[in-house]
Amino acid sequence: MSAPLLAVRDLAVSFVTRDGTTTGLDGVSVDVSQGEIVGLVGETGCGKTLTGLSILGLLPRTARVTRGSITLDGRDLLGLPESELRRVRGSSVAMVFQNPASAFNPVFTIGAQMGHVLAAHERLPKEAAGARVRETLAEVGLPEVDRVLRAYPHQLSGGMLQRAMIASALLCRPRLLIADEPTTALDVTIEAQILRLIRRLQETRGFSVLFITHDLGVIRTVSDRVVVLYAGRVAESAATEALFGRPSHPYTRGLMAAVPHPSARREALASIPGSVPADVGVVAGCAFAERCPMAIERCRTERPEVRDLGAGHLAACHLADLGAVT
Amino acid sequence: MTRFIAKRLAGSAAVLLGLSVITFALARLVPSNPAAIYIGPKARPEDIARVTQELGLDRPLPIQYVTYMLDMLTGDWGTSIGTKRPVLEEILVRLPATLELIVAAMLLAVPAGILLGVLSARWQRRPPDLVVRVVSIVGVSLPAFWLGLLLQVLFFRTVHLLPLTGRVDPDLRFSSPIVETTGLYLLDTVLSGNWTAFRDVAWHLVLPALTLAAYPIGLIARMTRASMLEALGQDYVRAARAAGISERLITYRLALKNAMIPVTTVVGLTLAYSLTGTFFVEVVYNWPGLGTFTVKGLLNLDYPVVMGVTLFGAVAYVVINLVVDLAQSWLDPRTRLA
Amino acid sequence: MAIEVLRPGVVVPRPGILRRFRRAVLADPLALTGVAIIALLVALAVLGPWIAPYPGQGAGESNVPARMLAPSLAHPFGTDGLGRDMLSRVIIGARPALVVSLLVVGLAMLIGVPLGALAGYRRGRLDAVIMRITDLFLAFPPLLLAMAIVAALGPGLDHAALALAISWWPWYARLARGTATSLRERPFIEAARSIGVGDATILRRHVVPNSITPILVQATIDIGTVILAAGSLAFLGLGASPPTPDWGLMVAEGRTYILDQWWLSAFPGLAIFVVVLAFNLVGDLLLDLLDPRGTK
Repeated sequence: MSAPLLAVRDLAVSFVTRDGTTTGLDGVSVDVSQGEIVGLVGETGCGKTLTGLSILGLLPRTARVTRGSITLDGRDLLGLPESELRRVRGSSVAMVFQNPASAFNPVFTIGAQMGHVLAAHERLPKEAAGARVRETLAEVGLPEVDRVLRAYPHQLSGGMLQRAMIASALLCRPRLLIADEPTTALDVTIEAQILRLIRRLQETRGFSVLFITHDLGVIRTVSDRVVVLYAGRVAESAATEALFGRPSHPYTRGLMAAVPHPSARREALASIPGSVPADVGVVAGCAFAERCPMAIERCRTERPEVRDLGAGHLAACHLADLGAVT
Repeated sequence: MTRFIAKRLAGSAAVLLGLSVITFALARLVPSNPAAIYIGPKARPEDIARVTQELGLDRPLPIQYVTYMLDMLTGDWGTSIGTKRPVLEEILVRLPATLELIVAAMLLAVPAGILLGVLSARWQRRPPDLVVRVVSIVGVSLPAFWLGLLLQVLFFRTVHLLPLTGRVDPDLRFSSPIVETTGLYLLDTVLSGNWTAFRDVAWHLVLPALTLAAYPIGLIARMTRASMLEALGQDYVRAARAAGISERLITYRLALKNAMIPVTTVVGLTLAYSLTGTFFVEVVYNWPGLGTFTVKGLLNLDYPVVMGVTLFGAVAYVVINLVVDLAQSWLDPRTRLA
Repeated sequence: MAIEVLRPGVVVPRPGILRRFRRAVLADPLALTGVAIIALLVALAVLGPWIAPYPGQGAGESNVPARMLAPSLAHPFGTDGLGRDMLSRVIIGARPALVVSLLVVGLAMLIGVPLGALAGYRRGRLDAVIMRITDLFLAFPPLLLAMAIVAALGPGLDHAALALAISWWPWYARLARGTATSLRERPFIEAARSIGVGDATILRRHVVPNSITPILVQATIDIGTVILAAGSLAFLGLGASPPTPDWGLMVAEGRTYILDQWWLSAFPGLAIFVVVLAFNLVGDLLLDLLDPRGTK
């Protein structure tokens, strides 16, 4: 297999505040290959957004990368000075955010803002720049491109804004698109459209996608591979159908069981008892141990290594290869 | 947008009406015997009675108010007890001197304040930020009259660099007299090419303008800083960074344009401040403007003058607020293109 | 159960506001200076007559042979035209400055808070009327209304105080209205209403106490601002009259001799400046503490 486009290896991020240090990511590894859509899934606070921000060097001031590496096409991103990183952002790696309405500047038109992005990376004469912006807006399926160009963010709907944000991200033909909960703030019908759009664009243009979300259904629709995060650590990683067909980590199984099915009639909603550990950095064993129905003594004392269960299906669980669904 | 303008105008008109009631109340109801004060201490009972009738003070209050309003609207703002000339005329004659001072102070304060605030936000927690924060808090705490006196001692006494008082050197009246067209001496001297006078007028304007600008600079710097910090914390700034846009562009264009919206309100506030701040500066520098005239009127209990200036100042404030409101809604596309 | 993305696992207990205030003050040298100066002001106000080297002169006794002496060890702030020790004058002047300011702010709160709370709680017609009146008073440029009132009533410290209070109450009315409006929707207020508790009691027992923090913060900042305002009025001749050791008045008295006997105006004015600065510094800190977003 050729080298991955993006290789996040053993990434650890800590927060340093007046009240102490906490761990946000504790050894996360994610690979994204050329042309692949990788879904990064987990509940709020598991570190998925942190991972995305780390790739672009956009961590908040209180956060620090304490170990690990992030390489893009073999090039180390973590060690890059700010001026170099700025060249990567928006052109090689672009990011799309959750709330399109707040991700756009309210006092500039969409066209102007896209112009800023383009100007930051390519020196194009006005006409060429305008043409590129128009093309990209048309490509994301926005009707009335001229109207959108001249519009201010508050004049467009959520769905249109999200398309515009995607267009803005694709302007400089990035190789990797990081989508951080791009559809969470949208209606279900619009959500489906945007997901279809992302898949279509990915097929036509061939970029890779790191799709961050907490929604299992979305992940299943859009990703080729899935990485499940729990409390700042990787729980399981597999090809989408392999993950959904044979979830090997107890947390993954718990997640899937917790999803309410509109068709099946159930007595009570399944949930995972307990709560996420406060600071995973101080947990010696498995982060999920105290909530896990299958936990044994070893789980509490020894942190499970990520093991290959075959065909690239990875799980961080001592009991993983003891088999499938209970 | 037009509906918004109409509503605001109507609101302002209502406020002005209310203001006239208050000034009327102050003028008529509070002094125990307006007529006696009008004539002066040597009044005899028959004189008081006569003047009372002349001034219409014996008629019922509502009628007095209506007469008062009609007079105001037709430009009859009473006569100054001190100078015996119409109040409105006295105000208008002295207005240019005050305007020149206020405008000079604002032209100094607004750009300086905004620049300081932006720098302070950009270099948050580093030396420039600390310096600006100290400067701005000192600025808003300095008593204007004290600052004026200090500057006079420093720049006239300790270092003989700037003139002590006044608008222009009295000798110039003979050597290079100023041809008054607008009453704004800086403008007038330029218009007539009188460069000696221009230099002199400018030199006289420095200290008073600086004194009046101290509080506005401080306030504008503080509010700009806060506004910029808020803008810099927004999602769109993070998105801009994620797109690789330079920190400089983000600060000086993307965030600043947003930050300016609340700053217009602050500029309005500082304008309002200078309406009365100018009284103190003018007194200290013997500036022949509306401020010195009003203070004299206050001390001499020249009620028509006091009421006239109060109404004038309040009207000016209402107009300033209206302009600021309109400017603010125009600047923000969310309100401009609702 | 859901943990905030940016601070996983950090559970910080929220100490009481007094403790937070103390911690914040100790951490910020500027605010600490402010608190120290205010403490000094209060000390001078209370203990002035016992601290001042020449308390009698502070109050107004003259000592003409020692007139117009420059600052020296014997008279650190020099002496004025009547030979009075300026240091003592400034010290003794602390009390009237603070007392007047407290009176003005107190009176303004007394008038403004009930009116504003009533308006915000009741809404409707009453709210509209009270707010219109508030807007009217606020439509005057700062100090202008106070000056006009003093002119109408005649100069004097008491008239100045009254005039200032009349100019200030609208701010508190607005503040109180704001908090009352947001409070009236809260469940505990609705609960009280539903069991039949009267409006006056609700206002008194629930609305006002819960609004008190921002109002008190504003009041603290205002003490400094009022000292400046009162001093400014006195400077113009609209406030206290001689021989009161009013700081603003002293600056005015010294003005005629400013070029040569600079100390006559310099020190009283410095007192005003330092006090206002202190209140502004502390006020800044309080506002930062109150600001939930913590944009510092």
